[in-house]
Amino acid sequence: MTSLDIDPSEILVRYNVKMEKAMTPEDAAAELYPKDELYRPIAEAIFEGEEDDVIEGLEKAIDAGKNPIALIDDALMVGMKVVTDLYDQGVIFLPNVMMSADAMLDGIDFCKEQSDEAPVSKGKVVCHVAEGDVHDIGKTIVAALLRANGYEVVDLGRDVPVDEVIEAVKAEKPIMLTGTALMTTTMYAFKAVNDRLLEAGLKVPFACGGGAVNQDFVTTYELGVYGEEAADAPKMADKIVAGAGISALKEEFHKH
Amino acid sequence: MAINRYTKMAYGSADEMIFGKSKFPVKAGLGLEIGGGYTTPEVNYAPRPEAGASKEKLVKEYQRITTDIMNRMVQVGFPAVVLETEHVEQMTNNPTWGGEVAHAQKTIMEEFHDEYGIKCALRHTPGDIREDRDFLELRGDKFNTLMESFEEVASNGADLLSIETMGGKEVFDYSILRNDVPGMLYAIGCLGTMDMDFIWQEIASVAKKNNVVAAGDTDCSEANTAMFIAGGLLDKNLAHTLAIIARAISAPRSLAAYEAGAVGPGKDCGYENTIVKSIAGVPIAQEGKSSTCAHSDVMGNLVMQCCDLWSNESVEYHAEFGGTSVQCWSESLAYDCALMNTATATGKAKDLRDLFTLSDKYRDPQGYVLAYDNAYRVGEAIVKDGNDIYLRAKNAALKSIEIMEEGVAGKLELTRFEKGALADAKAALGALTDDQDTFMSDCMSKYKEEVKVFLPENYGL
Repeated sequence: MTSLDIDPSEILVRYNVKMEKAMTPEDAAAELYPKDELYRPIAEAIFEGEEDDVIEGLEKAIDAGKNPIALIDDALMVGMKVVTDLYDQGVIFLPNVMMSADAMLDGIDFCKEQSDEAPVSKGKVVCHVAEGDVHDIGKTIVAALLRANGYEVVDLGRDVPVDEVIEAVKAEKPIMLTGTALMTTTMYAFKAVNDRLLEAGLKVPFACGGGAVNQDFVTTYELGVYGEEAADAPKMADKIVAGAGISALKEEFHKH
Repeated sequence: MAINRYTKMAYGSADEMIFGKSKFPVKAGLGLEIGGGYTTPEVNYAPRPEAGASKEKLVKEYQRITTDIMNRMVQVGFPAVVLETEHVEQMTNNPTWGGEVAHAQKTIMEEFHDEYGIKCALRHTPGDIREDRDFLELRGDKFNTLMESFEEVASNGADLLSIETMGGKEVFDYSILRNDVPGMLYAIGCLGTMDMDFIWQEIASVAKKNNVVAAGDTDCSEANTAMFIAGGLLDKNLAHTLAIIARAISAPRSLAAYEAGAVGPGKDCGYENTIVKSIAGVPIAQEGKSSTCAHSDVMGNLVMQCCDLWSNESVEYHAEFGGTSVQCWSESLAYDCALMNTATATGKAKDLRDLFTLSDKYRDPQGYVLAYDNAYRVGEAIVKDGNDIYLRAKNAALKSIEIMEEGVAGKLELTRFEKGALADAKAALGALTDDQDTFMSDCMSKYKEEVKVFLPENYGL
């Protein structure tokens, strides 16, 4: 390069450096872990994303007399909430959430194997990628964040025919349906899903986002609620559980 | 066609690299020489969704788009333009649709060329349709349909053939969400390159048969996925230091097209193209501040530094205050090119190049590594082990880390989080073997178990 150079502070601001919180993720997590000596190692293992340590902690808790199904809410979900809270606060990043969610799901499977009871989730959400669209990393993130926040996810996968979406909503009776699409050409399937749901009298909130999907488009159909970020999905579900209808969701999440 | 790996650099030094000129210019279309001493706008567009309802509607839509762009170019006095048609899936899955669109577009471009003498070329980019609902299906019936699509567009007017292939994406999508740098290396550097070797020999054959240009590929499906997940400065989805490591690894992967017979210009969204140009000397398309209609990035000026074509990535065809969207964006691109070409004509090109670079070099680690002086160094690391697709990708990753560490000692500011991710990545790469067979074998076992949709037969494994 030529000798030309510049003091970058004259032309740009690294806001992320300027705004970074002083506390390390580990210190922030340590303040949030449960105090119970049986639950705390499980929560720590969730935060670290260490599946084997999660199982080991669960085994110890069960040996000590804890109910395996109760451990899902009392230890696994508590540990996961540490992770999702720190993600929402901007202290940790998405891959940490994904790895913790993997560990949590292994833990839930283990707890289920140890009991005849079925756990109760916060609510059921059906997720899909629009018909004709095979780009599914956005849906993968949405599903993981929903599970991380205690929701049961029915993942229909990618390139899901409209008929299949409608049948799943009829069968599963979810509190919310999500649809993601990368391409403008495939996102029109969302309108068809909306129309078919209305025909069937199924007024379920339909959270849509991804790639070329925008608020203007989602506003054109009655059940649509636009999610700008994957992290909006569990927040919408929380609002629905708290009693919000589609209008209230649009009011809150349609930011533009 | 044979695979000829690059083991040396096309340029003697980074300073020789400049916009508008490439070591090996490419003649294409109606009077264009890409990389022959001037930059040219490359306009990219998407039809309105309702136009996809039938072949007739699609053809009509592309006729409107093409006429609008060509009209605006001559109205404002621009000497040259490239049009890129990225297929909607119907056009690739029904090869004759793509062929008819190419023919309709080229007919209009020929009319403008004949009447006004404007230099122009048409790039067609079929979609990588090689997958079904659950799995990638890189070899088989869908591959055959894809090749028919290339044949149809090449024989009906397309001058430049490109694609954005997806080899390795199933493992990459899993790895990038788990900070798994060895997984990214396996996905992009190994699986991606193997698929590039496979498909680009075929595309080059189609191009040769039809006397058109096998242009190039981009790692859009992987490195751009990383860049978009990383997002802006305040997004919390991926460390930007990891996004640029994925980008560095993507350079030898995109280079593979030229090793299999492609000659450029590389595709616009390949932000790895400065590295590729330093090695292969091929002309490249780039996008940055001009593609904000499609997405944001953090190096909008910097990527102009060595471009030969200057693109807007994609814009949906619709009305704006200043005309249709394609008219507005083509005019904006063409004015940028006029400035670059003025700098060339007045002997100021290197000054302008360095201004482009400096305006973004310290904005983000991605721009820092892709600044042409540093990009050149990544290129050197790649050719050092150019015959080993694993080692050269690993070298690119390690060199990008070294460059960022140097930057931190200077004017590049990183957050503690970004530095932590960088240190973790360095440790993970440092723990890897230097033996390709061992790495491939270890990764095959790991990802077959962890990634349910990974089918080794897609890569001939």
